[in-house]
Amino acid sequence: MNLTTVKGLQSEIYVPIMPPPVWEDVKKELKDMTIALATAAGVHLKSDARFNLAGDTSYRIVPNAAHINEMMVTHGGYDNADVNKDINCMFPVDRLNELAKEGLIKAAAPNHYAFMGGGGDQSAFINQTGPEIARRLKDENVDAVVLTAG
Amino acid sequence: MQRSIEEIGIPTIIISALPPVTRQNGSPRAVAPIVPMGANAGAPNDAEMQRAILRDTLVQLIEIKTAGETVPLAYEYHAKI
Repeated sequence: MNLTTVKGLQSEIYVPIMPPPVWEDVKKELKDMTIALATAAGVHLKSDARFNLAGDTSYRIVPNAAHINEMMVTHGGYDNADVNKDINCMFPVDRLNELAKEGLIKAAAPNHYAFMGGGGDQSAFINQTGPEIARRLKDENVDAVVLTAG
Repeated sequence: MQRSIEEIGIPTIIISALPPVTRQNGSPRAVAPIVPMGANAGAPNDAEMQRAILRDTLVQLIEIKTAGETVPLAYEYHAKI
């Protein structure tokens, strides 16, 4: 039976296309894992350059050893009121270290990664910034990453 | 970003405030507490809620077995605008 009755027929309704699935198996138990954070929330050290609010595909390294008082947010795409009160609500670095101390995970990674999401040059994020952060995380022997974005 | 990290061989999970968007963008694993964009990890200065959300997120990193799954988390915070 031929399911195609009209060749090249297209729906008039716009149907968004989802990218193909990506999947990496979890190989360790939580208690043996080093976990890093990656956030699109525009977090960075106060001593670091701010993100360009008009569009920025660069990223910043936030050392796990840094205190939250040394961090700030540059992001025009969401209400910053809550992160300005407590950066942990978008970048839960203190909570991650508490869970490591508790023994739920082995450790927080030495470095976390932050960028300014919410639009911009998607091909640069997909082809450049993303793979670069991924490579650094791999080099730092990170076992899993928790992201806050979207 | 999540996909790039997963592609290099590191499992990932995202805490999402906008689960339909994360799903559409092909996130492999996601959790979705009821939170506004800007407080994905829980209410500001509520360490207990933030810790619980992060703990449940890490548990779901292990539990989720299918790419593209989003697990709702039973925490709720509404920003006062």
